[in-house]
Amino acid sequence: MLDLITEQAQKKLWEQLNNSFTSEAAEEFLQTLLSLMKVVFAVNHDYRRNIKNFEGRYQFCSKDGEVTIAAVFHNGSMEVMEKKIDRPDITITFRDGKTLLNFIIAPRQDILGSMLRHDVVTGGNLNYLYKFGYMAKQLQLMMPQLPR
Amino acid sequence: MTKITFDDIGLKKFTLEKLPRLQELRSLSFARKPEICIERARYVTSYLRDQDNPADSPEVRQAKKVSYFLQRKKPVFHDRNLLAGSTTSKALGAPLFPEFFALTLWPELDTVSTRAKNPQKLTADEARELNLEIFPFWMDNNVLELTRKRIGNAESLKLFESLVFFIAAKAGCISHAVPTYAPMLEHGLTGLISMAAEREAAAVAQASDEGEKMADFYRAVQISLEGIIQYAAHLADEAERRAAGEHDPTARQELLDMAKVCRRVPAGPAATFREAVNAIWICQVGIHAENINMAMSPGRLDQLLYPYYKRDMEAGRLDVGRAIELIGCLWLKIADNVTMVPEASEEMFGGAGTVPAITLGGVDEDGEDAVNDLTYIMLRVTELLRIRDPNVNARYDYEKNSKEYCRRVSEVILNTKAVPAFFNDRANITALTGQGESLEHARDYAVIGCVELASSGRDYPASSSIMLNLAAPLEMALFQGKRPITGEEQIGPSTPDPGTLTSFAQFWEVFKTQLDWLIEQAIELNENMGAVHQQMMPSPLLSAFFEGPMDKGKDLIQGGSLYNSSGATHIAFADVVDSLNAIEQTVFIDKKYSFAELLQMVKSNFAGPAGEKMRLYLKNRAPKYGTEHAIARKNARNIVRHLFDLYQSHTNYRGGPYRPAYWTMTNHAGLGGITGALPHGRKSGELFASGITPVSGAAPELTACLNAVAELGGECVPGCWALNIKYSPENDVEQMSERFAQTIEAYFRAGGQQVQFNIMTYEMLQDAKKHPEKYPELMVRVSGYSAYFKDLNELMKDELITRTMYDLTNGRAVPYSAEKGGK
Repeated sequence: MLDLITEQAQKKLWEQLNNSFTSEAAEEFLQTLLSLMKVVFAVNHDYRRNIKNFEGRYQFCSKDGEVTIAAVFHNGSMEVMEKKIDRPDITITFRDGKTLLNFIIAPRQDILGSMLRHDVVTGGNLNYLYKFGYMAKQLQLMMPQLPR
Repeated sequence: MTKITFDDIGLKKFTLEKLPRLQELRSLSFARKPEICIERARYVTSYLRDQDNPADSPEVRQAKKVSYFLQRKKPVFHDRNLLAGSTTSKALGAPLFPEFFALTLWPELDTVSTRAKNPQKLTADEARELNLEIFPFWMDNNVLELTRKRIGNAESLKLFESLVFFIAAKAGCISHAVPTYAPMLEHGLTGLISMAAEREAAAVAQASDEGEKMADFYRAVQISLEGIIQYAAHLADEAERRAAGEHDPTARQELLDMAKVCRRVPAGPAATFREAVNAIWICQVGIHAENINMAMSPGRLDQLLYPYYKRDMEAGRLDVGRAIELIGCLWLKIADNVTMVPEASEEMFGGAGTVPAITLGGVDEDGEDAVNDLTYIMLRVTELLRIRDPNVNARYDYEKNSKEYCRRVSEVILNTKAVPAFFNDRANITALTGQGESLEHARDYAVIGCVELASSGRDYPASSSIMLNLAAPLEMALFQGKRPITGEEQIGPSTPDPGTLTSFAQFWEVFKTQLDWLIEQAIELNENMGAVHQQMMPSPLLSAFFEGPMDKGKDLIQGGSLYNSSGATHIAFADVVDSLNAIEQTVFIDKKYSFAELLQMVKSNFAGPAGEKMRLYLKNRAPKYGTEHAIARKNARNIVRHLFDLYQSHTNYRGGPYRPAYWTMTNHAGLGGITGALPHGRKSGELFASGITPVSGAAPELTACLNAVAELGGECVPGCWALNIKYSPENDVEQMSERFAQTIEAYFRAGGQQVQFNIMTYEMLQDAKKHPEKYPELMVRVSGYSAYFKDLNELMKDELITRTMYDLTNGRAVPYSAEKGGK
């Protein structure tokens, strides 16, 4: 029963992530990405190896203050919180969901352009962002072909 | 005594058809696709994780780490190159240095092999190893993060990380050096090790803290050099192993010959030309094991190798064809590596090579003509191979070198369309003596990377320490310490609204306030990163190939070299000069527009008919750098003089001065693309001019352009500059070479330090952009280095297309038309 629920939740999240790529409104992108990441860590052993012994604290904020989300990796698990956290390893402040999507995961990623235009501003250790970017990219590559 | 024995200095009878090995290797070099090599990252990580002893001195830790890697480095032979040794385990490899920016590759580990622009192959197993084993170890331990631990999120670090003010290049490397290999060739590495051992014993005998530090350094030198000897022995083993399985007698003998060479050098002194060439190459590989492959420049090889060449020729052991073949093999070996460029950086650095510079010709330490037969052999090899690396540069002393030499260099440029670059001995020697270098040492200068100058093996210049965007302080002067790109954030000092100023002199002071503040930030960060390098990345191996460290008992990073400095180069020089010209002439002299009106239009990107009218006025009527206009000449001189005085007033962590320079790599395209409108009528996003080159279309007369640049040269530009000139090709190469050489001489007599050329038309470059498949080998000069046009990003291609093209027959610029190319 639990497997079925997880599978259904996963399917819905994949659909939402896929929609983020094609939709103009990508505001839900970050929440979807983090939720999906959490689920896939739980069900996919290979993917879970990414966070074995990994300690990392990420703070995501939108420039308008509407979005404040933290992702904390600890003891091989991931926790997502809608709040400011202490001592983040990196803080990523983004203009809107679309700019964050372009920055992290879009098929035509524009990391440098986003930073040069100050669409995305980072503070802290960028290596944590690079690792996060890899985990997000891996998710993208796992994305199933969804029925239209 | 003449050193030229050739009847034909062009060596025209030696063609690629008659040099089948070089022809084959050249074809291979173009066919190869870059592959990421994780070998060094794997071994240095496993060493540091499992065997490092933090109680060792930084120099000894570094030496053990590098030696550990060299002893395990795989000996590989990918082709019929006569020289043994390779920078990486791949035929064309991009090595990873996790101490610097290797982790930027992390997000694209699974996609870098297939990305659209400049893919670099990485196997799935290697990607997994990087993701799970190697990269995690370095997350908090690379130069940038250790700097952050040292200074926190200081203002200077934030400015660097925003990418639009300056680049603190030490986060990615110091490298940029010209070693001297003469002692190694004479004594062998075992000789250098013995020397270090004797000095270690003497230092220990001092029984002092200082003596112990020196002893540690000498110990580190020995450990490092032993690593190279081990690597050479493994090359010999592998060559013998392959020879045993080789059925073709010629190929078998070639492998046995290589093995024999590697058994002798670089451990022992070089006895022949071939041994000297291979010894240099193996030591160059060793240097790459310690420091990232960026502008590690072999230097004046025509001088260094000449005694070995001459001796073999006189003994009948060598002929010119074989010498050409060996030098060609060296050129192709030097080109066996590329930099790892993450997709995100393609926009700014795409297409760049590793820029190892070779320097030819010029004068010797006594000030006499140093051009020899080997100079012409190296020019011929450069002409035949037409490859991006090495970056070949020709020194020219118009009083001492022959006109034939100048014409021959010109001919090679016309035939390759891009290389070598020309350097003026008179101006550059003046620049270096102005930095306190002895005349003999200054005369023995070599070019590093793009254009930077250093006395060979005596001068550790960290020449790309700072790359400063001059448009940033200009915008901060216009907007009271803020920049449009960073919004309302107060970046620099809050200076007065320019609308309230009553003279250009007042605005000049405001501009200097912002400029000086930004430079102070860049220097502060460079000093902190220098301190991190001292702990984390000393260079005992490289130090063994310098004058100074072995006498002082001090690593290069601690100031061991005879001469020390830090280089700061500048982006958007011409655009900033032209903006100052426009403000001075239009606002304060002609009073055509008020400063407030100008600022309003700049902010709006010259929107609307009134904005366009103003923009055209500024573009067409304001004085332009690259002409004889007095205001333009004064403003250019003032910036160069001010930057020189400011930088020279600072002493770096190694006890040397900061040296300003003007070369831009591809940053003028990337930074121009994201900078707003400027007062000289440049619209938002238009590219900046490269190096010290005037803005495209701003300098209609070639002679005036060259004079305007030349008068800035000499003492105030010790880091040198890159001047890009584009000529339309002519059918008669001989006649064009003559005119070409005359123009060079006039420019050099006026004081010009350096010039590089693209011999191509607007139309040709536009066609190459549209149809890259038609121009797979088209090589262009960017700003100090060469690149294959097809590899450059779109912005950089556009910059090359729109650069002013001059017709050498009449010395006038050919107008550019976007639709038709040149008219």
